[in-house]
Amino acid sequence: MSEFEPKVVAFFCNWCTYGAADLAGVSRLDYPPNFRVVRLPCTGRLNPKFIMEAFKRGADGVWVSGCHPGDCHYIAGNYHARRKFVLLHSLLETIGVEPNRLRFSWISSAEANKFQAMARDVIESVRACGPNLTFRKANLQLDLAEVA
Amino acid sequence: MASKNIVGAVLVAGGGVAGMQAALDLANAGYYVYMVEKSLAIGGRMAQLDKTFPTNDCSMCIISPKLVEVGRHINVELLTLTDILSIEGEEGDFTVTVRKNPRYIDMSKCIACGECTKKCPKKLNNEYNESLDTRKAIYVQYAQAVPLKYGIDAKECLFITKGKCGTCKKLCPADAINYEDKAEEVTFHVGSVVLAPGFTPFKPTEFDTLRYTDVKDVITALEFERYLGATGPTMGHVIRPSDHKDPKKLAFLQCVGSREVNRASNGYCSSVCCMYAIKEALIAKEHSGGALDVSIFYMDIRTFGKDFEKYYEKAKAAGIKFVRSRIHSIQPESGGGVKLNYVTDGGASTVELFDVAVLSHGLVITPETKELAKKLSLATDCYNFAQTSTFAPVALSRPGFYACGAFTGPKDIPSSVMEASAAAAAATSKLTPARGSLTKVVKVPTPVDVSGDPPRVGVFICHCGINIASVVDVAKVVEFAKTLPFVEYASNTMFACSQDSQEKLVALIKEYGLNRIVVSACSPRTHEPLFQETLAAAGLNKYLYEMANIRNHDSWVHAGHPEEATRKAMDMTEMAVAKAVLLSPLKENVIDVDPTALVIGGGVAGLNAALTLSSQGFKSVIVEKDSKVGGNANRIHSTTKGESVADYLSDLKTKVQNDPNIELVLSSQVDKVDGYVGNFTTTLTTGQAVKHGVTIIATGAKEHKPTEYLYGENRRVVTQLELDELLKADDQNVAKAETFVFVQCVGSREPERLYCSKVCCAHTAHVAVELKKNKPQARIFVLYRDIRTYAQKEDLYKQARDLGVIFIRYDLDSKPQFSEDNKKLTVKVKDPVSGHHLIIQPDYAVLAAAIVSGRENELAMKYKVPLDEDGWFFEAHQKLRPVDFATDGMFMAGLAHYPKPMDEVVAQAQAAAARAVTVLTQPKMTVGGIVAEINQARCSGCGVCKAVCPYSAIDLDDKGKAVVNEAMCKGCGNCASSCRSDAPSLRGFTNAGLFAQIATAL
Amino acid sequence: MGNLETITQKIREKAKSLLESGQAEVVIGYRAGTIPLVAAPFFARSAADCDQLVWSSFARLNLANYLPNRTEKVALVAKGCDARSAVGQVVENQFPKENLYLLGVPCSGLVDPAQVAAKEPRPIQRATESDDAITISGQGFSVDIKKAEVLRRNCRTCAHRTPTVANELTGPEAPAAKPDDFEDLKTLLAKTPAERLNHFKDLIKDCLRCYACRNACPLCYCPVCFVDETRPQWLGKSTDPMDTMTFHLLRGLHCAGRCTACGACETACPVNIKVREFNRVLDKTVQENWAYEPGLAWEQKPPLTVFQPNDPADFIK
Repeated sequence: MSEFEPKVVAFFCNWCTYGAADLAGVSRLDYPPNFRVVRLPCTGRLNPKFIMEAFKRGADGVWVSGCHPGDCHYIAGNYHARRKFVLLHSLLETIGVEPNRLRFSWISSAEANKFQAMARDVIESVRACGPNLTFRKANLQLDLAEVA
Repeated sequence: MASKNIVGAVLVAGGGVAGMQAALDLANAGYYVYMVEKSLAIGGRMAQLDKTFPTNDCSMCIISPKLVEVGRHINVELLTLTDILSIEGEEGDFTVTVRKNPRYIDMSKCIACGECTKKCPKKLNNEYNESLDTRKAIYVQYAQAVPLKYGIDAKECLFITKGKCGTCKKLCPADAINYEDKAEEVTFHVGSVVLAPGFTPFKPTEFDTLRYTDVKDVITALEFERYLGATGPTMGHVIRPSDHKDPKKLAFLQCVGSREVNRASNGYCSSVCCMYAIKEALIAKEHSGGALDVSIFYMDIRTFGKDFEKYYEKAKAAGIKFVRSRIHSIQPESGGGVKLNYVTDGGASTVELFDVAVLSHGLVITPETKELAKKLSLATDCYNFAQTSTFAPVALSRPGFYACGAFTGPKDIPSSVMEASAAAAAATSKLTPARGSLTKVVKVPTPVDVSGDPPRVGVFICHCGINIASVVDVAKVVEFAKTLPFVEYASNTMFACSQDSQEKLVALIKEYGLNRIVVSACSPRTHEPLFQETLAAAGLNKYLYEMANIRNHDSWVHAGHPEEATRKAMDMTEMAVAKAVLLSPLKENVIDVDPTALVIGGGVAGLNAALTLSSQGFKSVIVEKDSKVGGNANRIHSTTKGESVADYLSDLKTKVQNDPNIELVLSSQVDKVDGYVGNFTTTLTTGQAVKHGVTIIATGAKEHKPTEYLYGENRRVVTQLELDELLKADDQNVAKAETFVFVQCVGSREPERLYCSKVCCAHTAHVAVELKKNKPQARIFVLYRDIRTYAQKEDLYKQARDLGVIFIRYDLDSKPQFSEDNKKLTVKVKDPVSGHHLIIQPDYAVLAAAIVSGRENELAMKYKVPLDEDGWFFEAHQKLRPVDFATDGMFMAGLAHYPKPMDEVVAQAQAAAARAVTVLTQPKMTVGGIVAEINQARCSGCGVCKAVCPYSAIDLDDKGKAVVNEAMCKGCGNCASSCRSDAPSLRGFTNAGLFAQIATAL
Repeated sequence: MGNLETITQKIREKAKSLLESGQAEVVIGYRAGTIPLVAAPFFARSAADCDQLVWSSFARLNLANYLPNRTEKVALVAKGCDARSAVGQVVENQFPKENLYLLGVPCSGLVDPAQVAAKEPRPIQRATESDDAITISGQGFSVDIKKAEVLRRNCRTCAHRTPTVANELTGPEAPAAKPDDFEDLKTLLAKTPAERLNHFKDLIKDCLRCYACRNACPLCYCPVCFVDETRPQWLGKSTDPMDTMTFHLLRGLHCAGRCTACGACETACPVNIKVREFNRVLDKTVQENWAYEPGLAWEQKPPLTVFQPNDPADFIK
């Protein structure tokens, strides 16, 4: 395949968007196979460092998705997360990370169709940005043996 | 009790939200539960809802953890497709006979892959979507159903009915289909019965003027709910059914089949329709980007619950129109849409066109429930709701039978959940000697200590029949897994979740000395607990487990891209291995639980909570700030059902005083609080230190002191409670009085108090009826804004009108005017129908003064629990945890939570006790697992983790460093992501583990 | 007597009385520096020490940086930004409020030596000042420069020159400057992402990763900083441009909603990087979204410790 295939790291909360992805599977709603999911208990667990790390390691895009405001399994996790997202979004946008490389969404566990549409849109938006050549670090390897 | 034998099991009939809550509370309190559900799956009506009011929470999102919990509970035996045939015996020992109808699917084999349904030739109405789309003859009720097992509709299956087809059997990769399945009668013993049969929505088919049957654009609210739902027939897109175009104008018609004695014999108010109509209106409007024009046609808007009035105001602000008019008939428009004729408030006759008319249909008891009640000789009212008393709101007419949810009257989810917990408490009050006699305990070997050992990872790649293997090259993933660091063993498996695979897994763990397990199969949301149990059975800490979801997130959604799907499965497996390598065994610690409750407040709620706890064998200390118990109930004359409150209260007092399990501390308050769930120490102002495992806050509320209507200036102006006191004392002036004016909403539903006090309308109607009965010639006027006699209390309203009580509506901007002339009281009010002013000179003007919170800020701070902006204690979840605080071990009951009538107070008190019992019944509590921990060397003590913790689980110690209370932590990880120096770490989701996943994702 | 002398006088008098009464065990302030255009931090512990205390337009250091982990009772000579930082540290439990006496100085803005050097490249040996101007002299020259022309960038847009929270003020309130309108950032946002990225990459190209900015910052008191983390290692130890960028972004994020624009970071930078640009992006975001400015009251809750259910976040889909 000659066309650029974007690599996207997705961070989903266990209770809502991960559930929506499960339901999309049950409903056989197809979407591009370009992203890899890191499951978090809550978007409130998402440290902005994770997003930086994904880009640094060459992700062409990052997608963060959790419960709608008010739906948090942990009462208020997504409210706190939302404030962090606001900061990170504005910072990365200002310093020149294309806005389409970083997606935030709220998708409930019942919204399989929204999930599918969003997944497609994320990949197409990132594809339109082209490969992440500028906001990454070359030759990063993970030596599990060293960290373990 | 005559019975010699007491059985430690309870039958819960009905698997809706009420039944589920009752089952969980019972099972967690030490009783074995048989849950009988007539359909394929539990979940009930709530599973059909898109959102829930007033928070607009996603219904499925909040119910599905509960579904899973019930489905997996070792002490809940789920009997689906089951009918109750008979219940014989008496409280303590009933013999239950049920018929388990055939599913035609071997539940132990079905993996819910859905292959069977694809080629089934039979298309049938899909009941889950209110028949707006179709399902097959072999189907699951809904995608998230529990148990997630297919079933065959025998009446429709071609093979079963005609011996033809048989396609599903050929396609099933798990050999789960059994056309020979037969109904089976089963008998078991229980000590008591909780009935939670729920309701069915009123079918407006018999209302020919509403044209529901023949006009496509007339739909019911539940149908509309399904249109709104993401899993609905149009995937959340609202349409005009006749042409599938976007509707521009929508009308909701309230009270269809409710408050209706002419065309239906449903005199009651269905309690929830005003709120769900507002919800659906708001959500539809939101979906349309605000463009949708919505009108709600109503008689009275009944937004009486917590935060409901604010929701109503929000809807008005969003542009939803509320029109006070009951629509009699609907006419179809050629080319789609409907025409409504109505008379406005001002009397003008109006014709308006709408694209869709939504009928807000009421809640009714099903014929099956009616039949069941008859079979079990349970008393019901004229609407087939179960008869209960105010003081025993969940006890049915026959000892040993209890009820919750819509069976006792139409109600919303939190009220059903409250009653469910209450029923769990009431149903076991006589079973205490048998507690724990039938419950099972999982016995697992002590895990081998593998900390410090080098990781030895075992990887299992599941075919899931053909679900994964038809898309993903499983062999290739296995070979790849073998090359990953620390992987000692990798293999494929046909069904990782099957019994034999699980046994093999145990053997392999031992054979290869595996100390980390990765299963690449389906979703951890459904299968992680199963594999964790297997790890535990193999003597491995259950947290040394990681899952890659190569089915739901891969093969099922990338069927057209097998190469990429295989690549993705390899990456996902690598990510799981990387995280697994960094996992450490997580400790679960055991803490002692002090089996005593502290009940704060000695009103009806507090006394009932303590008595319920005592009936369960637990001690409590009641602390009451007053010198006597009873609270506001001391002032109330009689309940809306006519029961004497004084008699009840004196009985209650005697019981409490004679109860050896209850210690009453009067004229005292909470001074100092220490500790947490299981281990509180509360020091009272008397100096007494109470050690307790749980706390129930039942501090009540107060009657607002009116600042208008000449209150305090003219002696004829009294509050509702003051009138009750006069009635109680047989006051002669009241007895002589001829004219009464009742003014509703005094201080309620005003900008500074934007809530409904919930009890006043029914109480006023009740008192008016009593006055009229005693003196038919008495002239009684009720000045109101909306009459809110919800549920069966609507009968009181009707009775009052029938007896000649005159109801006059007023608006907030034209309140009644009170004046005084020579001690003569004059009330002037504008009649909205005639537009004329009415002048009344009453002997008594009775103000339905608002119920106001005690603003228990200090108490809230001491126990670290929240109050809402009106000062009510704020529950953990407005829908599903209505008596719990987010903080473990803290519960609430009564008016401290929100104004409510006495039956609901008693139910909530019993519910709080039931919830408390789930804690108190465990002599030791297991805490830990996926919880946060603090590396204090990194902690600066800034307190950000403490501030963001939703559970008050973090505190600063005497050195100013953060500490996590494992008993209170729920593992959300907010602390870990908020700390600038990474002092907190969430076990199981550590930075290192997530970092490894990110690195291997790319 | 000029305003500066009056303030100096007042600081000395008050410092003495605070030490004598035992209300403070140490007064942290400034004394004249040994090199021109610099006021040095000074810890006065006796009445005699107090005569060395001064107030000048060269008092750029943020003295709140000396509060964390100090057990003595401290009187802090605090200009607007120092006071705000000190309040922040109290709010964040880094210093007990009861041990803090804020001797507030109404500040008229501080002089930026780099801007002075740009105007007068000859070696400066001596600098004196009046209320409006500084006089610099060296080998064969003496020049007057209006202070307004050489104020630090952050001082030019300081909205809170006079501490809003202080036990006592040493002079009348200073007129506030026109607040930061973030005009430059708005202009920048109109450019393409690539141009913006280049701008920021260029901004930090000289960064040595010496962490002087971090060390000077009164907000950076963590026992372990993310830059030193090894498990996992968020940042490479080299000066890889992406690691350097990550450092500045994360430093910015850590200061978000807490930064008082004191400029200590920029003052400390040995290679004159305008590191505050990262902070300003976030200051703007914090102000626009949550209408929050840190350090203005004891009761304030930092924006990342609270939320409103209806917080704006339109970009979340």
